[in-house]
Amino acid sequence: MESPEQVFNGIVKEYSERLYWHVRRMVGSHEDADDLLQDIFLKIWTALPSFRGEAQLYTWVWRIATNESLNWLRREKLRAALHFASADDLVVRRIEADPYFNGTAAQRELAKAVARLPEKQRQVFIMRWWDELSYEQISAITGTSVGALKASYHIAQEKLKLNLSESEVSK
Amino acid sequence: MTRKNDIFVPEGYFQQLEQRLQSLPQREVKPTVIQRVSPWLAYAASLAVLVGLANFIFGRSAATEEDNTWDYVSYLSQSLDPDGQIELVETADLTDEEIRSFLIASNISVEQLALLDYEEDY
Repeated sequence: MESPEQVFNGIVKEYSERLYWHVRRMVGSHEDADDLLQDIFLKIWTALPSFRGEAQLYTWVWRIATNESLNWLRREKLRAALHFASADDLVVRRIEADPYFNGTAAQRELAKAVARLPEKQRQVFIMRWWDELSYEQISAITGTSVGALKASYHIAQEKLKLNLSESEVSK
Repeated sequence: MTRKNDIFVPEGYFQQLEQRLQSLPQREVKPTVIQRVSPWLAYAASLAVLVGLANFIFGRSAATEEDNTWDYVSYLSQSLDPDGQIELVETADLTDEEIRSFLIASNISVEQLALLDYEEDY
């Protein structure tokens, strides 16, 4: 039988890279993603004794990561509100200043437009478009029905099309 | 438009990340100050709501604001600290940054904060 440390090390090996890319898309910068990922794995470690195996390990790990990412965004929103600023603008500024970005201008505009989406739509879009998870997988992780997820994704796509065409026009 | 390869990480980052994360179980996880006091904060918040409701129901709103504040403070301090061992902190000594840090760590939402602000105005 594996010790808790061995199970945890297995989770780190299996999921750390994949979760990093998800968290990085959610928060917009490498440094914040690095900090948040450490918090997520600390949470996984402390919650490991309570994992009963009713959910798949994959779903359980992703659920912790997505919940922590949303909590991070909410704390950022509060931090920004207390400084009379917009949290979305902070994430957008981080994307603009990100030294670990080597995509095209269009890819940067897309990342910025995604950062301006409401948090749930942002989450669904990132999980579908970049993480390439199925609706069924996202549903198991978030507890949202497949129909509601499809609707969210569709609305997010429409908003992105509108925002990207507006930013193209304003250039 | 391609989906991937627009963001990258410093060289060797994932090897170093894996080692760092695998060392987490060796660290002692200590509860933060907020985690330690949050049950008391929740208790105090519930009492404050109950006192507020009681004031509202029994028509004590005619009293001056100063009297109400004193009632809250004395009632809460008697309930939470009957032996008077906790020293009351003067909020005037707190900096804006300390208040911000406390609010951020307390996980209050912007919506709840706006509601508090609204309640303070009315």
